[in-house]
Amino acid sequence: MKNKVLFIVTLVIVFLLGLLASSIINRKNEARYTSYVPQADIMKNDPRNEVWGEYYPQQYQSHLQTSDTNFVSFQGGSAMRDILEEDPNLVILWAGYGFSKDYNQGRGHFYSIEDIHNTLRTGGPDGPNDGPMPSTCWTCKSPDVPRLMNEIGIAEFYDGKWAAKGPQVVNPIGCADCHDANTMKLKISRPALIEAFDAMGKDIKKVTHQEMRSLVCAQCHVEYYFNKNLPGKEGTPYLVFPWKEGMSADDMEKYYDNIEFSDWTHQISKAPMLKAQHPGYETYLTGIHAKRGVSCADCHMPYKSEGGQKFTDHHIQSPLNNIQNSCQVCHREEAEKLKENVYEKQRKVKENRLALEEMLVKAHIEAKKCWDLGATEEQMESILMDIRHAQWRWDFIAAAHGATFHAPTEISRVLASGIVVAQEARVKLARLLAELGHNKPVQMPDISTKEKAQEYIGLDMEELRKDKEKFKENLLPKWLEQAREREQKWNNENVSASAQ
Amino acid sequence: MSLFKNIFPKKKSRWRTIATVSIASLLGLGAFIAYEAHVTSYLSDDPQACVNCHVMTPVYNSWMHSSHREWATCNDCHVPHDNVFNQYYFKAKDGLYHASIFTLRAEPDVIFMREESEKVVQNNCIRCHVQQITQAKYEDWIESHKSDRLDRTCWSCHRTVPHGRLHGLTTVKYNIAPVPTNQTEVVIPEWLEKEIDESKTAAK
Repeated sequence: MKNKVLFIVTLVIVFLLGLLASSIINRKNEARYTSYVPQADIMKNDPRNEVWGEYYPQQYQSHLQTSDTNFVSFQGGSAMRDILEEDPNLVILWAGYGFSKDYNQGRGHFYSIEDIHNTLRTGGPDGPNDGPMPSTCWTCKSPDVPRLMNEIGIAEFYDGKWAAKGPQVVNPIGCADCHDANTMKLKISRPALIEAFDAMGKDIKKVTHQEMRSLVCAQCHVEYYFNKNLPGKEGTPYLVFPWKEGMSADDMEKYYDNIEFSDWTHQISKAPMLKAQHPGYETYLTGIHAKRGVSCADCHMPYKSEGGQKFTDHHIQSPLNNIQNSCQVCHREEAEKLKENVYEKQRKVKENRLALEEMLVKAHIEAKKCWDLGATEEQMESILMDIRHAQWRWDFIAAAHGATFHAPTEISRVLASGIVVAQEARVKLARLLAELGHNKPVQMPDISTKEKAQEYIGLDMEELRKDKEKFKENLLPKWLEQAREREQKWNNENVSASAQ
Repeated sequence: MSLFKNIFPKKKSRWRTIATVSIASLLGLGAFIAYEAHVTSYLSDDPQACVNCHVMTPVYNSWMHSSHREWATCNDCHVPHDNVFNQYYFKAKDGLYHASIFTLRAEPDVIFMREESEKVVQNNCIRCHVQQITQAKYEDWIESHKSDRLDRTCWSCHRTVPHGRLHGLTTVKYNIAPVPTNQTEVVIPEWLEKEIDESKTAAK
């Protein structure tokens, strides 16, 4: 009898424990196979945003809103603004470089491909080996880039002319630039950022999720240059971030001086120039928001609600066009007041930026006068270096549109040091001019409009526009047709195979 | 004595062997369950332990996307911090309650706190934000800010902190955030890492 009882009790306990174990395992599988993981079937590096959009309609549709061009702020916004028209001085500062031909305020991510097709800076190539720009220029423009790098290799991607990759790169900036196709987690898709972390001795794999919410932006919104002398890759304009010495304007200047790099030689003054790109991430890091742990996405992609569902707003834009959801989450002041605070900072910094800009224009033209009067290279050397350094500091601020908001103190410091260096250059110029027998002010040309300034530096704008029109008529449609044919062949299965 | 004799088997029978095998299988099964349920993870403060049970995923996600993420874990708010014994006692009690409800499949679509938990959370709000409640300058700002802490909860006004205004499964459409089966953080995709390695070796 007692053995029977013991037998039955044990049997029941083991049965119940087995039930519990099976319940736990079932529940874990439930998490794996029901709504807790994405059901999306997107191939690795799929560049077509609309394919991702089928699975993530809310995010995709908000992303499409980056096509909106209605917002204009004091310094930026989403509208296309002709910056050279607004400030013709820039034509002189960039004489001999592409930016003097054409420079517009960047529109939203939606236009990344269209705008690079249209800008005069990319010229009017008539074949794959033609045109002024290298392939490297495509690097930040499209999720086709990681796809192509995966297919042909990184250095191979950078190699060749811009026009050579034209048929390959057609989808505007989107999902695959920041997300993993399976897990939707943030990931780095561009090698330059990983290599830059490596050069600084940091491990990008050890960053937090919050840092990733800025680092995916830092893949593109940074200062960079094309290095043609990398060992093993000589001749290829390899994309590099100049962060090895540090990320401040001074550190990057030191880095460029050490490797004797210059983007171009100035057409008027013959100075070896640096062109700042858009050091948005670097300047953001020196500001108070970064120091309090606020990421790019916190302000530029705040959460929004639709039908009670909370999701990240993928309409990436100026927070000033969405003050309620971005700024006011922390700052409980009126929207108008907050906007005015930002504009005030920007206005004040701009005052000094324009002062430095005026000095630089004069310095370039005075340097030309010195050359005309027969100055020697030896006499000019230190002057030209001063011009290089002063303009680098000016450009560092001018090119990083958000910088005056992100880090007004650091930006003012850089500008002030630029003014000191530019002043130094002009004192030396005055002395040299006097030595060369010209002891009075140098006459300045009339550069009151963009057209006059471009004429002064000898740009044939009509020719440039004609080339562009020809390109858009002949080559561009072929690119788009080739891309369409390629993408039509992709159904998810065979593309996954070809892209693996 | 007769009762004692009746319950325990005779010394000559093989009861020891049978008992040893039974107890060992019970313990083994118990250990298997503990392993499958990640029991040790509950001793930590890691919020991912809370999503072992996936009905907590929406709550985890809404916390994950709030500013509290940077400063406070689940345990910072939902477990008392007056002393360490009370802390683990409460945690164990709450945890066993959760586990029973989940195993019985009796969990509601929308999860609300029990009254006992509300008290704990309220005390934890005050624990960190005591200055905002007691500072004189806030008396000016909202007259009843100080007295309110005694007769109502913080979240009766600050309703969206930190989980948002709506609760439940429908509030987060894609519950992609870390479920226990999906925790690896891959910052660099495999293909890119390989490409960079190759390009490095080519340079040498």
